[in-house]
Amino acid sequence: MKDIMRVKSLISSDIETLLNQQIKKEALSSSIYLSMASWCGRNGYDNSADYFFKQAEEERMHQLKFYKYVLDMGGMAISPEVTNIKLEYNSFREVFEEALEQEISVTQSIKNIAARCHKEHDYVTLEFLNWFFKEQREEEFKARRAVELFDVIGEEGTGRWQIDKHVGQIVYTEG
Amino acid sequence: MYINKVQYMQKTAIASPIHFEEVFSTKKGSIYQSDSEYCWYVDFAGKLARFDYRNLLKLQKAVYAIDIEHILLTSDKSADVEIIFICACDHCYVLSLIEIIALKELLQGAFVMLELNHIIQDRLFRLAA
Repeated sequence: MKDIMRVKSLISSDIETLLNQQIKKEALSSSIYLSMASWCGRNGYDNSADYFFKQAEEERMHQLKFYKYVLDMGGMAISPEVTNIKLEYNSFREVFEEALEQEISVTQSIKNIAARCHKEHDYVTLEFLNWFFKEQREEEFKARRAVELFDVIGEEGTGRWQIDKHVGQIVYTEG
Repeated sequence: MYINKVQYMQKTAIASPIHFEEVFSTKKGSIYQSDSEYCWYVDFAGKLARFDYRNLLKLQKAVYAIDIEHILLTSDKSADVEIIFICACDHCYVLSLIEIIALKELLQGAFVMLELNHIIQDRLFRLAA
């Protein structure tokens, strides 16, 4: 009897489901960042708006990377529905705190997929995920540093203006 | 002329038979695999339905998603039937709770057997030195 399940797809249906969940998560992230860019833009934080536009594009790129992988491995990639995107934030700081939370949740979710890959001995997907782990190092670093700017610079006086100025300059260099 | 045509049809029918192999069966139904067509035939609830790879997975997902315990415990007056409709698939099942339990058992068994077949194929042919 032929092993049709394996012939048709390299990834198991469980991994496929997890990857589709990740596709949705990345799409959600991208939309959240876009919403943050809108908030920053309309409140006068131009550099931060640019930063979030860039982040939104990166998340979209991550989404497509997952999407293409699922398709290429013989799975069914599902274009996700994204709803309930927050429009308003209480403060400039809250925007960055939520951005960091978002990145953490993405990292945790990818770690969860990797754990499943280990269990199934799916080293192919695991190797694919390695790129994302490296990426998440940078993403979390940038988001964490951005939040830290609020303590380092302080929000008093022209503090927020300074923070907005420095957000785009955060660079992660692998040490 | 007519007889010849019938004979021809019989010949072609004999020449290309579809080979089924039983994957798993219970008292209530069976699932067969056709290697030549790369599909499965599910014999359940009085009909034989053909499922390709993608649709079999959709059927599994749809059946596994039914919360049997919830239906058992609920006391509202809704009918005791579930409609299993799979997108882009010709078949649809309208099943009672007992039948859902039986179909779930059949699918679970079949997927275990397919997994076992995968392991056997690995061990015998793919990993053999």
